[in-house]
Amino acid sequence: MQKFQNRVETYKKSFDEASSLIKDENSLRELRNLYMSRTRGYITLLFSELKALSQEEKPEAGRLLNSFKNYVLEKLQSTKKCLAVSKEATQKKDLTLPGRQKYLGSPHPILLFQREIEDIFLGMGFSIESGPEIETDYYNFEALNFPPHHPARDDWDTLYITDDILLRTHTSPVQIRVMEKKKPPIRIITPGKVFRKETPDPTHLPMFYQVEGLVVDYGITFAHLKGTLEYFLKALFHEKIKIRFRPSFFPFTEPSAEVDIECTVCGGKNKACRICGGSGWIEILGSGMIDPQVFKNVNINPERYSGFAFGLGIDRTAMFSYQISDLRFFYENDLRFIRQFLQK
Amino acid sequence: MKISVNWLKNYITVNRSIPKLIEALDSIGLLVDNWEERDDDVILEIETYANRPDTLGHLGVARELAAVFGSTIKKQNWPLTEIEERTSENIDIQICDDKLCPRYCGIIVKDIEIGPSPLWLADKIKAMGLKPINNVVDVSNYVLYSTAHPIHAFDLAKVTGKKITIRRAKNKEVLKSLEGKNIQLSDTDIVIADEKKPIALAGIIGGEETSISEYTRDVFIESAIFNPVSIRKSRKKAGIQTDASFRFERGADISFPPTAALMVASILTQMGGKATKGIMDIYPKPVKNKTVVIRNHRIAALLGVEIEDAFIEKTLSSLEFEVSVQQKGIWQVKVPFFRIDIEREADLIEEIARFYGYDKIPSQLPPLTGLEPVINQKRKILSKLRQMLLSYGFNEVVNLSFSDPKKETKFKNSRERIKIRNPISSKASLLKTTLIAGLLDNIIWNKNRGAEGICAFEVGNIYFWENDSCIEQLNLALVASGTVGLTHWQTKIYETDFYHIKGTCEALMTHLRYEPFSFQEEDHPNYKEGHSLSLLFKGQRVGSLGLLKKEILDAFYLEGNIWAAEIALNTLLEKQPQNFQYSPVTRYPRVSRDISFIADRKVSYQEIKEVLENHSIPCLEKFELYDRFSGLSIPKGKISLSFRFVFRHFKRTLLAEEVDNTQKKIIKTLKDNFNFQLREGGEIDK
Repeated sequence: MQKFQNRVETYKKSFDEASSLIKDENSLRELRNLYMSRTRGYITLLFSELKALSQEEKPEAGRLLNSFKNYVLEKLQSTKKCLAVSKEATQKKDLTLPGRQKYLGSPHPILLFQREIEDIFLGMGFSIESGPEIETDYYNFEALNFPPHHPARDDWDTLYITDDILLRTHTSPVQIRVMEKKKPPIRIITPGKVFRKETPDPTHLPMFYQVEGLVVDYGITFAHLKGTLEYFLKALFHEKIKIRFRPSFFPFTEPSAEVDIECTVCGGKNKACRICGGSGWIEILGSGMIDPQVFKNVNINPERYSGFAFGLGIDRTAMFSYQISDLRFFYENDLRFIRQFLQK
Repeated sequence: MKISVNWLKNYITVNRSIPKLIEALDSIGLLVDNWEERDDDVILEIETYANRPDTLGHLGVARELAAVFGSTIKKQNWPLTEIEERTSENIDIQICDDKLCPRYCGIIVKDIEIGPSPLWLADKIKAMGLKPINNVVDVSNYVLYSTAHPIHAFDLAKVTGKKITIRRAKNKEVLKSLEGKNIQLSDTDIVIADEKKPIALAGIIGGEETSISEYTRDVFIESAIFNPVSIRKSRKKAGIQTDASFRFERGADISFPPTAALMVASILTQMGGKATKGIMDIYPKPVKNKTVVIRNHRIAALLGVEIEDAFIEKTLSSLEFEVSVQQKGIWQVKVPFFRIDIEREADLIEEIARFYGYDKIPSQLPPLTGLEPVINQKRKILSKLRQMLLSYGFNEVVNLSFSDPKKETKFKNSRERIKIRNPISSKASLLKTTLIAGLLDNIIWNKNRGAEGICAFEVGNIYFWENDSCIEQLNLALVASGTVGLTHWQTKIYETDFYHIKGTCEALMTHLRYEPFSFQEEDHPNYKEGHSLSLLFKGQRVGSLGLLKKEILDAFYLEGNIWAAEIALNTLLEKQPQNFQYSPVTRYPRVSRDISFIADRKVSYQEIKEVLENHSIPCLEKFELYDRFSGLSIPKGKISLSFRFVFRHFKRTLLAEEVDNTQKKIIKTLKDNFNFQLREGGEIDK
């Protein structure tokens, strides 16, 4: 047995020596044959010697030989790998071949734009709130100071499910729901889908995205409304964009203001400008100081607290921002269109 | 509202250039949408608001401009050629309900020759984009566009009897309108009736019979005020909108009817008519002007700027408010009747702000006071889910919430669908109960445009009735069809299949830590038999996935295989995902063993997995199925499964014998449970 063990050791030593000298595939093949050949390989021969050993010696010797065999196989394998690597290193590669890329899904442009808007407001200490898309007349209109049968409702053409249940025409109901639950200070934005009874055309769809905002606290003023929205628009477009506030009307705000930004396409110089219609301004936001009646509807004392609210159409703003000519592109989900926004 | 600059000059002196005039109008909220030069005139298209019916006429716009310019409205005279006969001798007016008609004025102009309007009048009508009709109709319209007050003129000869009644219509009464349309009336409508029948739908449209024709000689002029809500309801019911109803439903100046009647009569007498003496004015409950208190400190508190007392007084006076000082910085303000929008202090503060100039109010950021940190768990999860799906090559889409009943009903579910009462089209008359329909629309759209493979997802609400309430449920849906991947010289694109969608679902549940989750074979009506699974989280069903049925694909004109999954995110979001906890890593090496078995085909992977997991095999870190095949070398009904088992001890290096023993145990377990055989050459020399 000792003798057998010694023989294995000797073979191992000479194998190590030989393998360390291997320089090419030919000598590797020779070494492999020398040890592993099924007829005359050293290991094959050693296996045949096992028969001559006694029953007690056999298992131990077998284990020894098996482990030597594994050792040889592994070493041959690793030497082969080394040779392959050094061979490749000497061959000139075509580095101009295209690299391997991964197919990534593309985010939807509207949701991407919504993110951008959210991020700006999150940075200003706003939190994000959401609410139901199917609303009651009370939350969508009455609480917002639209009396029943008021003509102002005509500007919010509504899709009804029953007399009282409707698809929300703006995300303002979320503001009411938040004010009902939470006491000031309140600083929220409410992004989401809204619905109007509009026949689809390049600038109208029966569903679109809106983000509205609400700030309620002691001493909130129209100056704060201006400051907040100017900051937001500069962050969204660019620092030097011209912004204009002009009086408007919304039942839920008083005073109300519409916010325009300058038309960056024509600068007001083209009377036939497709984007601004020649006025040089683009309506971007509706806003105003919360109407005292709205505060009363949610049990907030309008003499103690004040606040402002604003809203903008995400689709419309994205359209302007990316110079997209047709609103419907967003909802056709043509991958050739959508996938461009991977780069945004 | 079209505003002619020449017409404005009847009321105020306009000595500014058009761009300056537009700038002034814009700055006070009368946005000029557009303007055009026409025959020595400039026509402005002004945006008006529902609360300012006074700006629906030139006088109202002129009043606003007068306040900007610091000028006053020119007084106008309306001389009248009268005959001795009193109006009341010709006509008797009775209001049945002063809530529906708070004021009604009438006057008669006799002997008027109906014919084309004089040039000045025809020009005014043309400036409004209308065709002149005849002198009487044109004068009515002229007064309407001048003052925003609607007028109606009746052919007196066609009015039966002397008595004019303003009353509720009787059910089943019919009025043939001057547009020739039969309007079915009911007791919610207000009508003007003669002794026989209704002759006008009050404030909306007149009847054909009493309308002005070329044979008309004597004209009865109506100038009234009607209840805005009634007008709105009636005109909606009748399906008509007229210049008159548009103004009445927004509210009109209750002090104005006599003046408007006088204007019409005066112009008609200038054309040769003769007015009866005295305007009949039925005004049962005269209304007082509203008074509102405004406080300077509230102005500062709301606008964020100090405004001088003098400016406040001047602005309000120039808008024709009567201002009296109560004490320093507090005023009582009497509101003119034409400003129906002014009721509260906030309304007056807006007037101050408008004329002070929004641009002069400073910009400030609001102070951050005591805000609580908000952890928006839902947003965090959704954002992670989205990132994960994008990285798995699924494109994000958004579809409209509406669905076409023809397609929608192909999807079988027990949900009661929500119908829209007034849909934009019959193809969008339902709300979705599945997001998959929209995704299939996207697949066909893209296939038709050359896309070879589409993987897409949508996160959005589905809607249905449940116990008499409308439920919104946030869902996630995925679809995969065709090939995925990018063409590359080394790697191949591959065909999507069931495991593509399943793997995405698994990854999603794992990444979001909704574990333990499992799948169960389930026959689902939307999927091909034997090709669908339900997804369960902690034993509760949260979604399903599978190969869509041909009947569904047919409805979308789609062919081939489309795999889909839909998961109720609402249900998941209500549940707590597993807490995130890191596990320490060890420096001791792993040992891995690859073992191949011959297994019966009927044994499912799920069963094998459960057995291996339940046997708590020591130091087994993980096991992975890395090959699965059948073929000539494998007996019929059998399959070759190759597993890689990875072993590791946390505190020391594993000994070879330990691994050998465990390996034997694994082989035995699988043999005992499923009669697995080691595949010959199962441990192949490499």
